[in-house]
Amino acid sequence: MVNLEELKENAKELLKQEKVKYIIGYKRGTNGLMPVPAFIKKPEDVENLIWDPLCIYNLTRFLVDEKRKKAKQKNPDERPVGLIVKGCDSRAVNVLLQEKFINREDIYIIGISCENTGVVDEKKLVKKLKGKKVKKIEFGKKNGFIVSTEDGQVEVPSSEILAERCQECIAHFPVVYDVLLGEKPKRKPDNPFKSLEKMESLSREERWTFWKEQLDKCIRCYACRSTCPMCYCDECVVDTINFAVTADTTAEEKAQKIKWVEKSPVLSENFVYHFIRAIHLAGRCIDCGECERVCPLDIPLRFLNKKLEKEAKELFGYDVGFDPDRPSLVSCFKEEDPEDFIR
Amino acid sequence: MKKILRKKSFLQWVKRLESYKIYAPMKDDDFWNFALINNPKDLNLNHSNTVLSPKKIIFPQREVILEFSTSNDSELEVKEILPEEKASIIFGVRPCDARAIPLMDKVFGGDFTDPYYWKRRDKTILVGLSCNTPPSSNCFCLSVEGSPHSKEGLDILMTDLGDKYYVESLTKKGDQLINLAKNLFEEPNAKDNKDLENIHKDSEKKIKRQIQDIKNIPAKLKEMFESPFWDEESLSCLRCGICTYLCPTCHCFDINDEIISSSPLKGKRVRTWDNCQFPDFTMHSSGHNPRSDRASRLRQRILHKFQYFIEQYQNYQCTGCGRCISKCPVGIDIIEVLNKVENYGT
Ligand code: SF4
Ligand code: SF4
Ligand code: SF4
Repeated sequence: MVNLEELKENAKELLKQEKVKYIIGYKRGTNGLMPVPAFIKKPEDVENLIWDPLCIYNLTRFLVDEKRKKAKQKNPDERPVGLIVKGCDSRAVNVLLQEKFINREDIYIIGISCENTGVVDEKKLVKKLKGKKVKKIEFGKKNGFIVSTEDGQVEVPSSEILAERCQECIAHFPVVYDVLLGEKPKRKPDNPFKSLEKMESLSREERWTFWKEQLDKCIRCYACRSTCPMCYCDECVVDTINFAVTADTTAEEKAQKIKWVEKSPVLSENFVYHFIRAIHLAGRCIDCGECERVCPLDIPLRFLNKKLEKEAKELFGYDVGFDPDRPSLVSCFKEEDPEDFIR
Repeated sequence: MKKILRKKSFLQWVKRLESYKIYAPMKDDDFWNFALINNPKDLNLNHSNTVLSPKKIIFPQREVILEFSTSNDSELEVKEILPEEKASIIFGVRPCDARAIPLMDKVFGGDFTDPYYWKRRDKTILVGLSCNTPPSSNCFCLSVEGSPHSKEGLDILMTDLGDKYYVESLTKKGDQLINLAKNLFEEPNAKDNKDLENIHKDSEKKIKRQIQDIKNIPAKLKEMFESPFWDEESLSCLRCGICTYLCPTCHCFDINDEIISSSPLKGKRVRTWDNCQFPDFTMHSSGHNPRSDRASRLRQRILHKFQYFIEQYQNYQCTGCGRCISKCPVGIDIIEVLNKVENYGT
């Protein structure tokens, strides 16, 4: 079992010995049930750190901010940033390393094993408790969670409230770390692409109807993109900043800048946005499920990315985020790559 | 006008309103959102807070304001498109969302009246529902001069009294709706009035969250423009647009030309919601961005609501609905931010 005290001790030492600039972890929030990201700078503040089954966020995204901030500083602090990662999160780190977006020496990775469980889906938990307020939630001894409410404790089997992505998780433990807390589990998922089965059994027309309905709801708040560690482009195609303007740029040139996607949240533009994003995540998405979790309209974005993950696996035998030294899927070509789908 | 409507007569009332377009909260799997009601039977007033506020009906996220084209002799033709709306009624408006509408009226009224906004606004009737229990755990209307039974901005306020609704009409438009089905309504008796008073009083006690002392905040914020506070508070901000798109009072918009064909030229001028959290918000054509990082963007959101708006219109531009708090993916909490502002440097 991961021991929170051990986590705090580790974090405190790192800060005391000034080995890291700061540590990104989880702390209690003020807005409700869910923990919030914590940026811990002082050894005494490690007391705020928590680890419980609601620590669902993938904190890797903040490495993108750190890199941007550092690039602007004149005399940057060269020490690494401490980062707490679960298995899925660690694979996101690997992708960023593989793409040379970050350097290994710029991060100190505190890995946490999910052991035999995973993290809890907030919506499922709220539904399960039917309005009762959660006071505390812990990992159970076996495969479940212990939830304390005002009416006492209940043990909830993980199958009922586990996040969907954890049910299909292929590695419940960090694959890259400097220190690891908890044990490596033996459990293998039954079928990592189970959630796709229903979608795949639908006809093309049915799928079209489904996605039309779903993407019609999108308000283009871009929370899905903003929380994704892989969506790190300096200029995203959907923003209208992708045009360098100087004092000499004429009005005509400005008027002729290419807009790939209109700002209007209408079906055609929403499709373009989501398809561009999905294609750009093929072989890069590690299925942390963050995009789907943050969507205020509950659009099931995981299906899109999961499908591409499956294609990468089946067509190219490619597993995402396990080996930072392997060339990335979209930037390499092999003689034996299948090509029968190219028409 | 104060009336009583039996719950069993509610459906009949709605049926009598068939000449109007009717919007109400509808459930979509796990969440509520305002939608056009085709069958009065679908109308159900048990909703928790809707994801988006009813601002999206009066001030839609996208609207075409004009169309342009060049004909063969390359004459440019421009056609203004004004919304041609049927009169509509929005049921189930929460008092916080209703209070947001007079705030938008100020922005889209005043020296320059925005015809696109007012075409819809003038034809919309707002029927509110008081919150006997707060629809969100992050409700804080009491801190921003509102209340769970506020009448501001509404044409009718309904209050659930168990097997009946207390229906108070506040404007002529409201009276009209009641008059269309006069026989369904009864006069309230002394007990109904007493019940209403008690329910309203109780509902205030159930609001758990509050801003400590909002009075000092505008002046305090004014001194904090350059403060490192904003860097600290925005550390986890993802720069998504949830907080402002879901906010009932945020009203920034952008205008773009959408080209359908370049030769012969044909296209539309479109207004869409804009968002102070986005990287291209108010970016100058020179490439200079006055709000280039997340600290200055968070500062913009807070200062606009609690300093600039007060200076310009003598109101807070927040009605305490709690949406930006509940839906923030990283838990940035506007109440907490303001409480910290209040205590900052003391
Ligand atoms: S997906 Fe796997 S590693 Fe990630 S939280 Fe779930 S169980 Fe843990
Ligand atoms: S988070 Fe949801 S609503 Fe927002 S842009 Fe993404 S899919 Fe659309
Ligand atoms: S600022 Fe937040 S709490 Fe205030 S009205 Fe807007 S969304 Fe609601």
